Amino acid sequence: MTDLALSVKDLQTFFYTNNRCNKALNGVSFDIRKGKTLGIVGESGCGKSVTASSIMQLLPRLSRIEQGSITYHSETEGEIRIDQLERDGADMRRLRGDDIAMIFQDPMTALNPVYTVGFQIAEALQYHTDLSPKARGEKVVDLLKDMGIPMPEKRAKEFPHNYSGGMRQRAMIAMAMSCAPKILIADEPTTALDVTIQAQIFRLMNQLKEEHGTAIMLITHDMGVIAELADDVAVMYMGNIVEAGTVDEVLRTPRHPYTRALLDSVPVLGRGKDQDIKSIRGATPDPYERPPGCQFEPRCDYATAACQQPQSEDYITDTHRVMCHRYKEIFDNV
Amino acid sequence: MLTFIIRRLLITIPMMLVISFLVYLGLELTPGDAVSHMIDPEAAARMTEEQFAEMREALGLNKTFLERYWIWLTNVVQGNFGHSLSGGVAISTIVLDRLPATLELSVFALVFSTLIGCVLGTLSALRRGSGTDNALTVVGMLGVSIPEFFFGLVAILIFALNLGWLPAGGRLLPGYETIFDRLPHIVLPGIVLSLMMTAGVMRYARSSMLDSLSREFIRTARAKGLPAWRINLIHGFRVALTPVVVLIGFRLPTLIGGSVIIEQVFQWPGIGSEFIGAVRGSDYPLVMMIALLSVFAVLMASLIVDVLTALIDPRVRLG
Amino acid sequence: MKQAALDKKFDKIRAMEEAGQLKPAKGSRALRKLMANRLAMVGLVIFSVILLMSIFAPLLTEHDPQKINLRAMLKPPSWDHLLGTDRTGRDVFARILYGGRISILVGLGSALMAAVIGVGIGCYTGYKGGWIDTVALRISEIFMSFPQIILVLLLVSIAGQSLMNLIIIFVLTGWAPMYRMARAKMLSLREEEYVQALRSFGVPTVKICYKHILPNALGPIMVNITLSTAMFILAEAGLSFLGLGVPLSVPTWGNILNVAQDLRVLQNNWWLWLPVGSVISLFVLSVNFIGDGLRDSTDPTLQG
Repeated sequence: MTDLALSVKDLQTFFYTNNRCNKALNGVSFDIRKGKTLGIVGESGCGKSVTASSIMQLLPRLSRIEQGSITYHSETEGEIRIDQLERDGADMRRLRGDDIAMIFQDPMTALNPVYTVGFQIAEALQYHTDLSPKARGEKVVDLLKDMGIPMPEKRAKEFPHNYSGGMRQRAMIAMAMSCAPKILIADEPTTALDVTIQAQIFRLMNQLKEEHGTAIMLITHDMGVIAELADDVAVMYMGNIVEAGTVDEVLRTPRHPYTRALLDSVPVLGRGKDQDIKSIRGATPDPYERPPGCQFEPRCDYATAACQQPQSEDYITDTHRVMCHRYKEIFDNV
Repeated sequence: MLTFIIRRLLITIPMMLVISFLVYLGLELTPGDAVSHMIDPEAAARMTEEQFAEMREALGLNKTFLERYWIWLTNVVQGNFGHSLSGGVAISTIVLDRLPATLELSVFALVFSTLIGCVLGTLSALRRGSGTDNALTVVGMLGVSIPEFFFGLVAILIFALNLGWLPAGGRLLPGYETIFDRLPHIVLPGIVLSLMMTAGVMRYARSSMLDSLSREFIRTARAKGLPAWRINLIHGFRVALTPVVVLIGFRLPTLIGGSVIIEQVFQWPGIGSEFIGAVRGSDYPLVMMIALLSVFAVLMASLIVDVLTALIDPRVRLG
Repeated sequence: MKQAALDKKFDKIRAMEEAGQLKPAKGSRALRKLMANRLAMVGLVIFSVILLMSIFAPLLTEHDPQKINLRAMLKPPSWDHLLGTDRTGRDVFARILYGGRISILVGLGSALMAAVIGVGIGCYTGYKGGWIDTVALRISEIFMSFPQIILVLLLVSIAGQSLMNLIIIFVLTGWAPMYRMARAKMLSLREEEYVQALRSFGVPTVKICYKHILPNALGPIMVNITLSTAMFILAEAGLSFLGLGVPLSVPTWGNILNVAQDLRVLQNNWWLWLPVGSVISLFVLSVNFIGDGLRDSTDPTLQG
């Protein structure tokens, strides 16, 4: 039996809004290991959320998965090719919420304001389990309790606007975990929350990982979060993974200039006020007017003419790969 | 919830007082003295001169304007609305007599426009951009542009006079009492009355539904693996409902006013056609009283709609 | 669109994009505007045609709309009388053309005046706030509690029927919604930073209100004016149809329809009421198209 929960290979997802073709994901490959956390990090617009939407087949109407494969390694049903399932068909809907669950960035807007929290959590149970209504109610209370929400019986009957921000996100996690999914996709779960609440949520997610063996795909733009929580990491830029590997490898020995730049632009608590924080020069290119070869080339300090050629991936170790023409020369002295 | 209702009532009562004051002012300004119509003409015919003069005194004929207003107000609150100048019938009797007809029509129109408007609007939104959607949009535009009475005339011509399917007017023929006999009579005026409201509700429901379906919680619902009908109906429509209910409440005065003309077109024996008769005949007491009652109806209906909104949308209960 | 059709569309777009044939998205936002504008353009054309026909009525028909001709009563349409004659032999086509003048005058005139009053008050009281704002608000609420027709008829019964009276009554019953809209806009714009700046420079209230803030609220105001026009034209038609609007001696579209209350006329003399009703509907439809187009183009939240 494989130790992988999900495998994505050469995934291409294109958007067709405004009658144009935007290659949001241009050949993305990664694996999510069972019981481990994969962090996907990058700037806004690099395609992190699109990746999550593709896996869940929650893409908007004017977009589609062009090519590639998304394989879910189910323990009971073998290999399931998600990309070949009908978008809102019965099979896909069965997977959603039950095998693969997702939590979103802003819990206030992600929860329906006119229904109680308990109702919304019970919905998932209603469609994926055979529990009786009474049993569902009890499970909801248990879930809220497990997520550390005090007075769960009372809270279950309340509405989202009665909850605080951190509690709301816990409720969302409760909803996502209700059917014990094998994979949890968390799309910037703490960006809308206070820093202190962030820590609580992360502790909670780690706990879930330990207790249930859930694989987590954590999407974020914050390198610090990656350092905290992730086992593996993939750095994305303009629809490609430019570097991927274990957290140790990528954060300690980054090989891609972009990864380097990202790490350099984060101030470190405790190092004092004269840190040399470098912002990345330039801006992300227009998705319709892309550079011919490496997408990062216009902003890269190490770019040469060779960088305008199409790229391919190179493996530095078994697990550490990078997409850069000049990686060998640039960081030889590291 | 109770505090919400009480608070709303506390606002409504002063408004009614002010409006009743204005209405009474109107009564005073019109020709004829402002108190005689409060006396039952039949009883007055049997009174002597002194008795009649006494009654008029009691009603405040020679007192100050404010005292007269107060006496009039207490009378109204107790149910004495005065008497019609043509025929001397007690206005309260007229109102009670004609009210059921108007209520029937208005409630039919309200229910029809709400149901059909919501259904068509939601359909339009779910099939956005399709032929159905475009066709319904055009129909909606026509619905708010065609004068209701003109639509009524055309409807009478086609369905009553030419096809003979439905009666051309009147509420029911003598001898026919069951609801099935009455139904054909209410169909044409009811649907015609609701024309503009239905079109309005349909357009609003469509945009509200589109707005609701683009929100984040719809994504969450999809991520849970719920079936499409549940997402659209239980999540999408339910949230889209609140603004539509608010709109309906907003348009209630128009519905109540619309029945005035439609009752005339279809010879419907309701308060609306009575009002027209009163205006034509310069029957000021009747005109004023019906106006006052219509405002009361509007305010009460708005209150009910507000309570309904608070019931369906928990966010409203706090505010 | 079904998935298969969507897929084909996508394939086409992708091929074009990869061949470098697609230009930046300048097309789409303008396209959307154009679509909305297309209906608005149609509306504008229809509106103008009807308006111009009414204004230039004498050029389009030689008949006098008031001239009675008892030898040509209830004649169906013919070359001489394009839309036939009515019960007293008056030419229907001429009556519709001349009637349009009054109907449009009442509709547009009342809407504009109601806008001037409503917006004028709304801007000032909305900006100043305080007791004057509360008083104005309560007054508007009182006006808005009356069903409009009932209030209009009430005032007609007191003041009597005349063209001027009707316009005044319409303005009296119609200023409140304009006021509310202007006030709401004012409340939201009042907190903008440029207003604070103007205040700190000592610019007088009236000037801030009318010269600086008002132009920014112009969009919704124009939309509301078009919608009010539609509403007033329909109201005038309804009232005149009942004989309670403009006095029957003056031809208006609603007055012409007055005869249709008789079921025999309805069945037998279609030219007396069907054309007029259609003209009213068409005119109001065009106004609504224009209003919708204005709303689409002035709404800043609509993205391409």
